[in-house]
Amino acid sequence: MNRKEDFTKAIQAHQGLLFKISLMYTHNLQDREDLYQEMVYQLWKSYDSFNAFSKLSTWMYRVALNTAIYQLKKSKRTPVTTAIDPQMYHIAEHRDQADEENLKRIYSQIQKLNLLEKGIILLYLEAKSHEEISEIIGISKSNVGTRISRIKEKLKTQLATN
Amino acid sequence: MELEELKNLWEGMSDRLQQQEQHTKKLLEEITEHKYQSKLRMVKTSETLGAVICFLGALYLILNFPKIEPLAEQIFAILAIVLLFSLPVISLMGLKAMQRLPVSSKTYLETVTSFRKSRVQFIRFQRLTVSFGLFLLVISIPVLASIKGIDLSTTEHFWTLTFPMGIVAFCVFAFWVLKSYTKSLKAAEQLLSEINN
Repeated sequence: MNRKEDFTKAIQAHQGLLFKISLMYTHNLQDREDLYQEMVYQLWKSYDSFNAFSKLSTWMYRVALNTAIYQLKKSKRTPVTTAIDPQMYHIAEHRDQADEENLKRIYSQIQKLNLLEKGIILLYLEAKSHEEISEIIGISKSNVGTRISRIKEKLKTQLATN
Repeated sequence: MELEELKNLWEGMSDRLQQQEQHTKKLLEEITEHKYQSKLRMVKTSETLGAVICFLGALYLILNFPKIEPLAEQIFAILAIVLLFSLPVISLMGLKAMQRLPVSSKTYLETVTSFRKSRVQFIRFQRLTVSFGLFLLVISIPVLASIKGIDLSTTEHFWTLTFPMGIVAFCVFAFWVLKSYTKSLKAAEQLLSEINN
């Protein structure tokens, strides 16, 4: 299999993670599309640097998350608050009204976290192990646990005060 | 709803990505066929235009330098030329540095840290530019008057009304700019301290 086919298969298998990252780091449809395209482009450009000994998804998360940060540089500032993303309303099909309201609240609070916390919580939501989060983020395994607990506390406080 | 519940919903989200597939297929063709232009590396039109205007201003002063006298005005002209050349060059160099994208070699923490550091540096530089801008405005007036052969001391109300009003207008603008930059700077510095904790 050649490089191009290899890459295409890898992206198609992991496009869900790219979509979720673009959802988490942008605030409108145009920015979301731009970021999605940029992540695929940066992955293609650095595909040769992928070390086959490390997990493909770990490498993809790292490149995609870093690209999301650089995309923020382009837009120069991060809005403090954000509108609720309509796509977030539909991440699960069968929910009642109360669930939907709660989901909107928690998502808007996640959007208020700082960049480091946002990256960690995204990987947590993706059900990544502490070891993998540690490898992608660049902090120790024990620090991952500490930070996740702190973020949970922070979200609880934010939810209680909003 | 707890975070754990959101986690379950988040995992189920992949089922809704079918519609993304067609889009990804087309994008992959463009990228692998080198038809895609990265938007991250583009220097903004406003920054390029600003640099061109500064260079044209500097060129105008160089071409008209023989007309400038006495010595004080000549020194002001040299300072203005240096500022008009150096400020946009430093700004564009900073922008270029911010656009280096070591996306696969750095961890997320390293990227967030360098992002915020470069943001802090950029904001500080912008604040400095505003101060230099005021200085440039002040020294340009006698220089341009000298080129045009105007004696400012004989111009009615220049030093008593026009010039002070110009300075006040610029100060109001500079204050507004500095205030907004200070806010962004505080936010950027706060994240850096949170990362270190």
